[in-house]
Amino acid sequence: MKIMVRAFARFREVVGDVTALDLPVGSGLPAVLAALASRSDESRDLLFDEQGMIREHIIFMVNRKRVSRSAMDSIILAEGDEVAIYPPVAGG
Amino acid sequence: MLTDREIHRYSRQITFIGEEGQERLKAAHVVLAGAGGLGCPAATYLAVAGVGRLTIIDSDRVEMTNLNRQILHWEQDIGRNKTVSAKEKLGAMNPDLFIEDICEVITGQNASALIGEAALIIDALDNFPARYALNQAALEHGIPVIHGAVSGYDGHITTIIPGETACLQCIFPDPPGGSEFPIIGTTAGIIGLMQAHEAIKFLTGRGTLLKNRLLIWDGRDSSVTFLNLERDPVCRACGECAQGPGSERGDL
Repeated sequence: MKIMVRAFARFREVVGDVTALDLPVGSGLPAVLAALASRSDESRDLLFDEQGMIREHIIFMVNRKRVSRSAMDSIILAEGDEVAIYPPVAGG
Repeated sequence: MLTDREIHRYSRQITFIGEEGQERLKAAHVVLAGAGGLGCPAATYLAVAGVGRLTIIDSDRVEMTNLNRQILHWEQDIGRNKTVSAKEKLGAMNPDLFIEDICEVITGQNASALIGEAALIIDALDNFPARYALNQAALEHGIPVIHGAVSGYDGHITTIIPGETACLQCIFPDPPGGSEFPIIGTTAGIIGLMQAHEAIKFLTGRGTLLKNRLLIWDGRDSSVTFLNLERDPVCRACGECAQGPGSERGDL
């Protein structure tokens, strides 16, 4: 199935604006992140910390709806779903 | 009540917001948290728009590396307190503006006292610990906050209304890392101006606020995206089980 990934801010520079991923039916967000992380070391470092945990501050959305960290593993994606990834900025 | 001089000075916007809108700006007390890349443009436009009272909070001194974006601070100001430098320029722009300058770090201990009874807070800070402390104090006092942040070509802004919208900790439960960010001055200028614009809309009651919407600015292609937000019922700051001031990141 095809999943569209929209990347923002620093992550957009690394993976591009919109990326289409072809994933097995029944895949969830972890499969999306694994696919993106496998593209480059920089991509993996932006998504995961040194212990391999998803970086806590990143905002994930599925079809424009925020996904809480506790729901990350339970969401099953469907053909055509859009996953948005925003690593928020902090400077002023 | 506006003076004849004020009616003349603000005539080009009074035809748009009316004398009532101008009087609302004049009566407003706005707290500006941070007099840096976001705070300088935000304060400049609030000052010339006729906001009556501005409290500027910043603990830093002006450094040479600030000058690519912090437009109220000039070469001659290097080494001076940012609050003093900003107050001097803003006072020259608009002598009717009453300005208080507070050279302090915002913490969980002092945030509540610093914001006092302001009508509105502009979060133009450069770090999340202070932003969380400000958010907590704003929730306690019921004061709206216009939050903005930037890095490189990227920025975002949202308006937080206590009890109505997602608070800062609902939106960003965990702080982004890093302490020194790359920044193009225009990015800070754009988001800082959006914050001033949002403030003018809030104070005059004209326009639609960025409530429960995170506007994400991408300067690479000058695009704008909105993320819809909602309150987090288990938010550590405003959720049902929030522990209030002094807890977790509020205790900084």
